[in-house]
Parts: sequence; structure tokens; C-alpha cells
Amino acid sequence: MSNTEYPEEILQSLGDYNIDVRDFLPGHGGGAKLLLDFNKISGVEEIEGVVLKGREIENGIVADIIIKEGSVIEEPVHLCFGVKNETGVQEIFPRIIAEDNTEVKIQAHCSFPNADGLIHKMFGHFYIGNNCKFSYNETHYHGEKSGALVAPVSYMYIGENSIYENTFNLTSGTPGKVKIMLDIYAMKNSVIRSNIKAFGKSGKDSIRIRDAIYLEGENARSVLKMKAAAKNGGEVLMYGITEGNAPRCNGHVECQEIVLGKGSICRARPFIRAIDPTSTVSHEASLGRFPQKWLDELQAKGLTEEEATEILIEAMLREE
Amino acid sequence: MLLELNNLTIPTFDKRKNIVEKISLDVQKGSIHAIIGPNGSGKSTIAYSIMGLENYQPSEGEIIFEGENITELGVTERAQRGITLAWQEPARIEGLSVLKYIALGIKDKSNLKKKVIEALKTVNLEPKKYINRFIDESLSGGERKRIELAATIAMRPKLILLDEPDAGLDMIVIEDFLNIFNKIKELDMTILLITHREDIGMVADRGTLVWQGMSLITDKFAEVMLRYCAKAGLKEFCKRTLFEDTEKCFDEDYIDKIFAEENSK
Ligand SMILES: Nc1ncnc2c1ncn2[C@@H]1O[C@H](COP(=O)(O)OP(=O)(O)OP(=O)(O)O)[C@@H](O)[C@H]1O
Ligand SMILES: [Mg+2]
Repeated sequence: MSNTEYPEEILQSLGDYNIDVRDFLPGHGGGAKLLLDFNKISGVEEIEGVVLKGREIENGIVADIIIKEGSVIEEPVHLCFGVKNETGVQEIFPRIIAEDNTEVKIQAHCSFPNADGLIHKMFGHFYIGNNCKFSYNETHYHGEKSGALVAPVSYMYIGENSIYENTFNLTSGTPGKVKIMLDIYAMKNSVIRSNIKAFGKSGKDSIRIRDAIYLEGENARSVLKMKAAAKNGGEVLMYGITEGNAPRCNGHVECQEIVLGKGSICRARPFIRAIDPTSTVSHEASLGRFPQKWLDELQAKGLTEEEATEILIEAMLREE
Repeated sequence: MLLELNNLTIPTFDKRKNIVEKISLDVQKGSIHAIIGPNGSGKSTIAYSIMGLENYQPSEGEIIFEGENITELGVTERAQRGITLAWQEPARIEGLSVLKYIALGIKDKSNLKKKVIEALKTVNLEPKKYINRFIDESLSGGERKRIELAATIAMRPKLILLDEPDAGLDMIVIEDFLNIFNKIKELDMTILLITHREDIGMVADRGTLVWQGMSLITDKFAEVMLRYCAKAGLKEFCKRTLFEDTEKCFDEDYIDKIFAEENSK
């Protein structure tokens, strides 16, 4: 497939994240990939060790992504869910399975540059086997009109001795209405790292994220970091849940938030619970505005207060 | 004349007392002008008020920059007119890269990276080692201060307020700083230098002595330093170390005379 078959606007839309979708197109780079252009599968490329199957349904696709037992996949698997239309419904039902002893990175790009009444839904099931290294990165861009409704729900099972890294980024453009629910079940000796970042920029942006980690296996460990910023009436509510339900498991939740301008609401709340007496779960939260001295320093370099604040938010939400 | 302070009085935030009173001084274009004085005499306060920081607004007096009265202007506007401040202790901001930070104040964004590299070289930091780092806790105090200096130099301001650039640095580094000041001077910038160290101050052309919130004298630096020693009663120190073998040397009689004047007050 040549570049021209995939909407140019989508290819370029993740520039603010330093991502060029072109690098991930079929025929570019060695990674497995699946591209969805609205409700049409416009490209699939499998590689050894990675099974990628998609089937179009009325408003979207059902997809299976399987990493075969023992495979160490060097190049990231790329999933691109793009819609250039202003309106419509895109529904995705992915089933992601990493068999035992596998290593893989999955990069999902969800880009809706013209969204103005567009709905994107996902129901994802992740099954990560034992002794895996699995990383899942989702980067979103919802255009500049606050015109998307995005509602992904995912269940993730993380097997014994596996490391699971999850990052979610929604900091460029205007989010619109976003509702994310994530349940992660961590088995014995597994390690979970989840990083979530979102930025609400106007009264038309409302972001609700509930990220729950259940430490179900002995000695499972997790760190959940949530960073949120809201300005000009935007709303961001984040709930970081961690439960320690097995012996010697250890969880930490970190929430950081910045609120600017009248009517903006930003809540990043940790909810923690330890059922097993030998488990520990802790949290840390900070909120409010940036220290005056930081603003002074940037303003003394000629920036306005507004520009200085933007820079500081950007720094706070930086990719890790 | 680049900068003039006329009878500047700055009260504490709660207005209960004055931190400095009737400060007057003038800074000549292209010069290094040192402000010296003991701890707590009000040096940083003067710098903050020249920069226009919120809690350091004068209750009296005026600040004139290039002939314009800027007393009522905010920090951003002053910076845009060419004034900047390098803090005694610059902040650490997680997530902000050295490249981005130094680039902030560069108005003409063409060849940005090259300009940042240039600025890092000026403060003797190896560009490729630092440009992609972050200005967080991982930098040492000295590195952070140099980066701050690089950022202010990259702005090409007309006036740099340097609040104790030497604080917390060791002797070897001092030599380095003197070179940096000279480079800044060559770039046609004026420096208002706040320092405790007479050896650093010696690079200054002129100076002002601030004592208990008042500006006592503005003159050639050596003259100001001598007056400072006289105030502090450091005659031997003054004769032996300060003015020995320097071209700014005074004869002993003159030193005795100044000390006698000061004692009779
Ligand atoms: N906001 C404030 N409220 C009350 N007192 C203040 C305030 N800011 C500064 N001061 C006091 O004013 C005096 C001058 O402070 P300043 O920091 O300007 O001194 P300095 O000459 O820079 O000292 P140093 O050499 O230690 O840096 C000090 O006694 C300080 O405690
Ligand atoms: Mg000071």
C-alpha cells in the first residue's frame, strides 16, 4: 500500500507527540501492523511470531492479535485507528493475546483530526501469559474541535512473572468527551507500570479515566501514575485504584494535577485498599498551580504568564 | 546610561517595614556593575525589584531603563525590553529539557539548536552532554547555575541581573566565571552583578555598596570595595590582600584616610 491510500491528515496528525505515522505504514519498517481507515481495514502485515487478523463488522472491526509462544518481537506492533470524517461511529473489539515467554511492544495510534460528533469505542481484552514483557502504548489525537466521544474499556490479565507497561497519552489537541475504563489483574510476581496523561483545554472537554489495578497474585507489584491538567473550563477526573489482595504485594499510586482558569476542574484521586495484611499500597497526590518562582523564571525570559504555564504543563505531561 | 534607580523604597509584602530605602544608583551601558554588601543588606531585593517581581514592588521611587520609566511594568514586559535575571538558586523543573529551557528566551527561532549549543559553550558546558538532559534534580547546583546563565545569555538581553553567580561554587570554577563574564561583555550586554566575593567583584568596572537597606556609594569598584572594608573595619585585610599588586591599587595614606573618615562617623 502506498501512503496515498491512507488519509494524509491522519499520517501527520501526531506530530506534536513526535510520531510520524508514515514510519509505521505497511512496507515501512519491519513491524507487524494493522491499519483501520474508519470502518475499513486498509492494511494488515503479519510477521513471524505475530498473528494479526481483522474482520470488518457494521461499525468497525473485530481483531485478533496473537504473539506466538516464545517470540521476542523486535519492532513494535502498530495499530492505527484513524478516522478523517467529522462524524460517524467506529467500534473496535480487539483481543490481544501474548502467549508465554514473549516480548512485544504494541503501539496504538488513535487519530481523529476532524472529529466533530465522532464516536470511537473500544472493548479490549488483553491476555498476557507467564514470563512476558509486554508494553502497550496508546496515543490519541482528537482534533481541535472538542468534537470526539471516545470510550475505551479494557480488561487485562497479566500472567505470572510478567512485566506489563501501559501508557496512555492524550495531551495534544482537544480531547472532547473521553471515558476510559481499565481493569488490570496482576498475577504472582508480575510487575505493572501504568502511566496516564490527559489535558482538558476547554469547557467542551471532559475526560474521565478510571484505571484499576488488582494485585491478585503473591508478590505482584504496581506503580500507577496519573497526570492531569485542565484549563479554560476543561474537566479531568482521574481515579487511580489499586487493591492489594494477595500476600506481599505492593502497589503505589501517584496523582499530579494542575488546574488553570475559571471553571476548570481537575481531580486525580487515588483509591487504595489492602485486603491482605502483608501487602502494602501507598499513594501520593499533588495539586494546584505551579510555584510562582517557576513562572517568574520563565517570564523573566520574556514569556507571558500564559505561555509560561503552557510550557510547564507540557513539561509535566512529558513522555517518560 | 542604561539603568537608573532613583530613591527606590521597597517594603515587605505586608508593608510593615521597608527592606530597602531610597536606593539610588546608575548602571552604565556595556559595564559590569557590582552590588556588594553583607548578608541581608537587601541586594537580592533590589535585583527582584528591577526585574519587577510581584512581591517586590516599590512604594516610592522609580526605575528608569533606557530613558523609559518601567516602574509600573510587569516581569514579562521588562524581559521583553531586554532585562533578565539569573536567580541565586534557579529552580529545577521536571520534564523540561535543557534544550527547550535555553531556547525559551531566544526570539529568533531560526537555527535554534545551533544557538543553544553556542550558549552552552559560552558557559563551558559540553553541549552534547547536556542538551537532552532535564533541568531536574539530576543536575548539580553548579551545572544548574551555568545552564541558567546560558539561558540568559542566549536571550541576548541588554541587562543581565546576576544574583550571586558564584554562590556555592569552588575556587577553580571562579576563574571560569570571570572568563564567562568577559565573554558576556563582548556580546554587548551589561551585567549587574551581585556578589560577596571581592575577587569576583574585581572584574567589575563600577559598583554600589548596599548597607542595611541603603545605597551608600556608587563609584569605581575599587573605591566602593575600600569603603566596604572601612565600614566593616577590615583594614589589615584591605591593605594586605585586597589592593596589593593590582592596578586598582591605592596608596596606604589614602586607605588610612578613608578608614579614619569612616571611624569618625
Ligand atoms: N518578603 C519579605 N518579608 C520580610 N522580610 C524580607 C522579605 N524579603 C526579604 N526580607 C528581608 O530583607 C532583608 C534583605 O534581604 P535580601 O535577600 O535582599 O538580602 P541579600 O543582601 O540578598 O542577602 P544575601 O547576601 O544573604 O543573599 C533580609 O533581612 C530579609 O530577611
Ligand atoms: Mg541575596
